[in-house]
Amino acid sequence: MDAIYADAKYQEVPREEKQRLFDEVKADMRWNETLYGCYECGICVAACPSARFYDFSPRVFAQVMAREDVDSFYELLNDSVWDCSQCFSCTRCPRQNNPGGIITIMREVAVNNGLTSAKDALQAYSRIIYKVMSTGTQVAPDMLQPDFFPDWGPDVVAVADNLDVWRRMVPPETLHTTELAWDVSEKTRLELYMIWKLTGNLEMIEQIDEGIFMILEEVMEELLEENGYDIDDFESVID
Amino acid sequence: MDHNPILVIGGGPAGLEAARGAAELGYKTLLVEKAGVLGGTPIQADYAALTPDMENTEVAMKRMTDAVEDDPLVDIRMETVVTGASGEVPDLTVTLNGPSGEEQVQVGSVIVATGFQHFDPGRETQMYGYYEYDDVITLVDTERMLKAGNFVRPSTGETPKRVCFIQCVGSRDRQIGNQWCSKVCCGIACKEAIEIRHMVPDCQVFVFYIDMRMYGFWEDEIYWKAQEESKVSFIRGIVTEITKRGDTVVVKGEDTTKGRPEEVAMDVVILSVGKEPSAGTVQMAEIFGLPLESHGFIETTGGALNTVATSVPGVFAVGASVGPADLEDSVSSAGAAAMKAAGFLRKHALANA
Repeated sequence: MDAIYADAKYQEVPREEKQRLFDEVKADMRWNETLYGCYECGICVAACPSARFYDFSPRVFAQVMAREDVDSFYELLNDSVWDCSQCFSCTRCPRQNNPGGIITIMREVAVNNGLTSAKDALQAYSRIIYKVMSTGTQVAPDMLQPDFFPDWGPDVVAVADNLDVWRRMVPPETLHTTELAWDVSEKTRLELYMIWKLTGNLEMIEQIDEGIFMILEEVMEELLEENGYDIDDFESVID
Repeated sequence: MDHNPILVIGGGPAGLEAARGAAELGYKTLLVEKAGVLGGTPIQADYAALTPDMENTEVAMKRMTDAVEDDPLVDIRMETVVTGASGEVPDLTVTLNGPSGEEQVQVGSVIVATGFQHFDPGRETQMYGYYEYDDVITLVDTERMLKAGNFVRPSTGETPKRVCFIQCVGSRDRQIGNQWCSKVCCGIACKEAIEIRHMVPDCQVFVFYIDMRMYGFWEDEIYWKAQEESKVSFIRGIVTEITKRGDTVVVKGEDTTKGRPEEVAMDVVILSVGKEPSAGTVQMAEIFGLPLESHGFIETTGGALNTVATSVPGVFAVGASVGPADLEDSVSSAGAAAMKAAGFLRKHALANA
C-alpha cells in the first residue's frame, strides 16, 4: 500500500527500481502457482523453524506480495528473505500458497540483480560455491578437523590423523578420497561446469562474487582446453 | 376449504416467497406492500446484482413478482399499510390503510416480512464523515452507481484510482448499541469490489475488516474470487477516522497483521453498513403484540429448529424482521412460514369440521 507515512527504510531507493524488481518476481513462470490469496491465519509461521529464531515471518511475504505492497517487498528482498531455511514447512497453507517458493523466486531476483544483501548473505559460502561448481561435491572429509569440532570428542583426533586409512576402509572405491567427498572424474567436472555456464548460473555467481567467478572460470576453462573441449560448440547447440 | 386469507406483510424477497408458497399450497393470500413497487429493498435501493450469485437484481426479482402477480390466489395491495389488528387468528380483524382509504379485513394467519433498514452511518458518531465528505459513501450508494454502470468519485465525477471498504459499520459495536453481525456485508463488499475492479480495472480496491465472515460457499465463490482473480487487497484492521487532506479522504487505521498504524489517501471510501430492524418491523411487532428480542428484532420462540414461530400462535415472522438475514435465509424462512401458516389453517378447519 502506498502509505502517506512511508517507512523510513530504503526511502532513497526510487519507486521505479522497487517496482522493477517486484515485476521481475511476478514475471517468474512459477509465480502463478506460488501465491493465491492469504487470509493471514498464521499456519505458515507456526510451522516455520526460522520464525522461532529470527524476526522472520513467511506470512508477511504472502501478505505483502498479495497486496502488491512494493515498499515492504523491497524491505523483505533486502533483509528477511535470507532468514528462510527453505524447508517448505509453510506449504501446509490452506490456500495452497507457497511462501517458501515466493522466497526462492525473490532470492533469485536478488542474486540476478547483484543486490548487496545477496552478496552479504552468500559471502560465507564462497568456498562452498567454488567446491560445488568445480567438483560437484561439497563437504570433504579433510574439512572435519578436530579444532573445528571439539564436541566430537577425542576420537576425531585419531580419525583426522589417519584420515586416508579410515577412508580406504569404506567399501566403494570412489570414497577413497580425503579432499573430495567422493571421486569425481574429470569428465563429470567438465560437464557439470558446462551446465552451470550454459544455464546462466555462472552469471549469477559473477553478480554476487566476482573473485570466485574469476578463479572458477580460469581453472575450469583451462581444464576444458586441456581436454580439447570448446565451450562455443556447446553454446551454439543451446542457441 | 373455506378460510380467511393468509396475510403477508411486506413485498420483498421474503414476503414474495411466502405469498407465492402459500398460494401454491392452495391458500388465499393477501399481500400488503407499503411502497408502490414490489421487490422490497433490493428493488427500492437499486441493488445492481444479488449476493452471492451476482444475478441481475431486476431479472431475479421480476421472477418473484411475476409469480405472485400471475397467481389468482394472491390479492396484492400496493401502497398499503397495516394500522391495527383486533381479535385472534384464524379470525383476526386487520385494518389496512391504502389508496382507497381504510378497510377492515378478516385474516386467518399472519406472516410478517417487513425486513430491515440499512444502518445510517451518521446516526451515532460522525467519525467517518458520511454527511460531511462527498467521497464517503455506503454499500447502498455504491449499488446505485454500479447499477447505473458508472462508478465515479461523487465529488468530481472522475474515475477513482483507489477505493476502500470499511467493514462492520454499525455492526458488532457496543458503543453504537448494535452488537450483532449483519451477516451479509462481507459478502456484499466482496461482490461490489469484484464489480468495481471489472468496471474500473485501473482502480486499486482495499477492504479493511475485523474478520471476513464468508460462510459456506461464499468463501471461495466471492471472497477467494475477489482476492485471487480481482486482486482486491484485504487489510485486517478497522479505520478509526476519516479526514480530508487536499481533495482526497484519508483513512487512518492499523494494519494489525503488520502491526503498524497507517494513514492512506483514498478517492472513495465505502462504508459497509449493517442491518437494523425496519420501522415497519417495529410497528408490526406492536400491532400484533409480538415481543422484540434483545437486539430489537421480532422475537422467534421456536429456537434453532423453528425459525419463524412467534409468541402468538398463527403469527409468523420471517427474513430480516427476525434478525440479520441474507437472501437465502430470507426466502428459506419465508417458505417455512408459508407451510406453517397453511398447516395452522388446515388444523383449525379440521378441528371445526
